[in-house]
Amino acid sequence: MSGISVKDLYKTYKGSAEPTLKGLTFQFGKGKIAGLLGPNGAGKTTTISILCGIVRGDSGEVIIHDLKQQAAHREEIKHIIGIVPQQIALYPQLSAVENLTYFGNLYGFKGKPLQQKIMHYLELFGLEKSAHKEIHKYSGGMKRRANIIAAILHNPKLLVLDEPTAGVDVQSRSMILQFLRDYNSQGASILYTSHLLEEAQSLCEEVVIMDAGKMIVQGNPQTLIHQHPDCNNLEDVFLHFTGNALRD
Amino acid sequence: MLRLLATIRKEWQLLLRDKTGIILLFIMPVVLITVMALIQDAPFKDYQDIRFDILTVDNDHGRLGRSVKEGLASGGQFNIIDSLDGQPVTAERAKQLVNEGKYKISIIIPAGATAAIVSNANRIVNDITHRMGMSVSLPVKKVPDSLNVTIYFDPAAKKAFKGAIHQSVDNFLTQLETDMLISRIKQQLQRKDSTVTATDTLAIRLQAVGLKEQSTGTAKQLDVISNSVQHNVPAWSIFAMFFIVIPIAGNMIREREDGSLLRMKLIPGSYLAILAGKMLFFVGVCVLQFYLMMLVGIYVLPLLDLPQLVMGQHPGATLLVAGGIGLAATAYGILIGTVFKTPNQALNFGAISIVILSAIGGIWIPLEVMPARMQLLGHLSPLSWGLDAINDIYLRNGDVGFVWKNVLRLILTGLAMLAIAGWVEKRRMN
Repeated sequence: MSGISVKDLYKTYKGSAEPTLKGLTFQFGKGKIAGLLGPNGAGKTTTISILCGIVRGDSGEVIIHDLKQQAAHREEIKHIIGIVPQQIALYPQLSAVENLTYFGNLYGFKGKPLQQKIMHYLELFGLEKSAHKEIHKYSGGMKRRANIIAAILHNPKLLVLDEPTAGVDVQSRSMILQFLRDYNSQGASILYTSHLLEEAQSLCEEVVIMDAGKMIVQGNPQTLIHQHPDCNNLEDVFLHFTGNALRD
Repeated sequence: MLRLLATIRKEWQLLLRDKTGIILLFIMPVVLITVMALIQDAPFKDYQDIRFDILTVDNDHGRLGRSVKEGLASGGQFNIIDSLDGQPVTAERAKQLVNEGKYKISIIIPAGATAAIVSNANRIVNDITHRMGMSVSLPVKKVPDSLNVTIYFDPAAKKAFKGAIHQSVDNFLTQLETDMLISRIKQQLQRKDSTVTATDTLAIRLQAVGLKEQSTGTAKQLDVISNSVQHNVPAWSIFAMFFIVIPIAGNMIREREDGSLLRMKLIPGSYLAILAGKMLFFVGVCVLQFYLMMLVGIYVLPLLDLPQLVMGQHPGATLLVAGGIGLAATAYGILIGTVFKTPNQALNFGAISIVILSAIGGIWIPLEVMPARMQLLGHLSPLSWGLDAINDIYLRNGDVGFVWKNVLRLILTGLAMLAIAGWVEKRRMN
C-alpha cells in the first residue's frame, strides 16, 4: 500500500535541451512524513507538479494512494492531495477569512460548517486575531501559516509542501513543524521539500535525495547517517551524494 | 453553481479593495467621454449649427441678388455680409479675403443678372404666344452669352460643403427663372382672356410634388443623427469597455504568478465554472460601465451645453448589445492574460491593440469618412460591430432583429478567443 510511487519518470520541458527528470524512481508508504531533498535544479518542483497533476510527465508511472496519476483518476487524486506551494497562493488584497471562504467554496464547503472550520484552523495556527486583516499586511510567517490552512480545508490524505518554512521565524517554523507531526498522527501522509536539512532530519521518517533528475538515495535519515560513518547528520549525507559543486 | 457564485463574490471583493482599479474602470471613462464629446462638438457642428459668413457682392441690385441673399439667410446657417467697414464689398476684395482664408465663401452676382433672367423668360413667352397666334411681344434685350453667378470657396473647404453651396445657389437661380417665366405666362394669359383669375394655380401645380425629409425610424430620431454626443458617448463607452482587458489580464497574470491559479486548478471540479464566474463578473462590470456612461450622456453632458443622448426605444436590444460587447472585451482580456507572461507585456499589448482596433473600428472618426480600404478593415474590428449595433438602436430605432448579427459576431469572437486561451493554457500544462 504505497502513498506515493514514482517509477521511471521522465520529463523534458519544451525548449530545454536537457531532461529535467531522467527516470526518477522512488516510493513512500502511506501515513509517513517523507522528504524530497535535492540541490537547486534537481527536479523537486517538477516532481511535485507531476504528482499533483499540474504538469504531465513524458513517460513513467506515478501512483498516489493506489490511484494512477492519469486523466481517469485526476479528479479523485485532487480530493486526496492538498498542496502548499512555495509561493503564498492567496489573494493579498483579501483577508484570511475571505481567502479561505473562497477556496473552501471551491471545494464545495459553505455556510456555518465552513466558517467553523476556518475559525478552528485560524485559531490552531494563531491567526484568529488577524482573521479579517488583508493578507498583504501579514508577516512572512503569518502568510506561510495561512497558506497551509488553504491546503488542508478539505482534510487531504496526502499533504504536499514545497519549502513551507522558507523565510519564516523560529516560532512560526516550530509551530508549522508541530502541526505537520500532529496532522501526520491523524493518518495523513506528508511529502515535503526543503533546503533546511536539519529540519528534514528531525521531521521526516524517510527521505529521497535526488539530483539532476534522478534519485540518488532513499531511506530513513538516521539509517542513512549510520550507513555513512563519515557523516554526522543528514546535511553531510546530502553533500556526500550531491557533492560541493555550486548549482545554477 | 457554488464555484461560480463564489468566484463572482471574490472578484467583487477584489474590485472593492482596488480603489485605483475602480477609478480606472468607472471614473476615467466618464472623463473620457465628456472630454471627447466636448472637443468634438465643434467639428460635428461644422455643417449643422455653425453659422458661416458669406461675402456677397451684389452687382446686379435686382431680384436675383435679393433672392440669393434672402434664400441663404433664411436657412439660418449663413450670415450674409455685403459690406465691410461701411463700404460695399467688391468682387476683387471678396476673392482676396476668401483666398486668405478669412471667409469660407463669396458669391458674386454679376450686373444685369436679373435683367438677363427677365429677358430670357420674355423670349420663351414670346415664342409660346406667337405659336398660339397672339401678337403681343414682351421686350427682349441682348445679353452676353456667359453671364454667371461666381462663387469663391476657401481652398481648404471640403468637397461636400462646396457641393451643398453650389446646389443651393443653383436652386435659387432655377426658382427665380421659373417664377419669372410663370408670371410672364400669366400676364399673357390674362391679356388674352380677362376671365382668368389672378389665382396662382400654375405655381401651385409646379409645387405639387415637394421634398420632405423624414426619419427612417420614429420622428423623434430625426434630429439626433451625427451630433457629438450621439457619436462620442457610445463610441468611447465601447472603447472604455474594451479597456477592461487591462485589469482582467493583470488579474490573470497575478493569479498565475502568486500561485492562486495553481491552487484553483488543484481543487477538484471544473476550472470552467471558475472562469465562467470571472467572465460573468467582468461582463457585468462592462455593462455597468456602459450604462453609467449612457447616464452621463443623458444627464451630465446637457449641463455642459451639449446635446442630450437619445438611447432609442429598444432597451432590451441595448442591453443585449452591451452584454455582447462586454463578453468580447472580457474574453479578449482572458486571452491576453493567458498568452502573455508578464503584466508589462499584457498592459502594453492590450492598450495598443485596443487603440488600433478602436481607430480602425470607427471610434475616433466614423467609418463612413474613412477610405474604402480602411472601411473594409474597420468592419473586422469588434469595436465597429458594437458601435454599428448601438447606432442601429439609437439612430435607426432598431430592435433585437436589427442588431442580432453584430451581437452574434461579438459573442462568437468572444468564444473563439476563450477557445484559443484554453488551447494555450492546455499547451502550457503539457
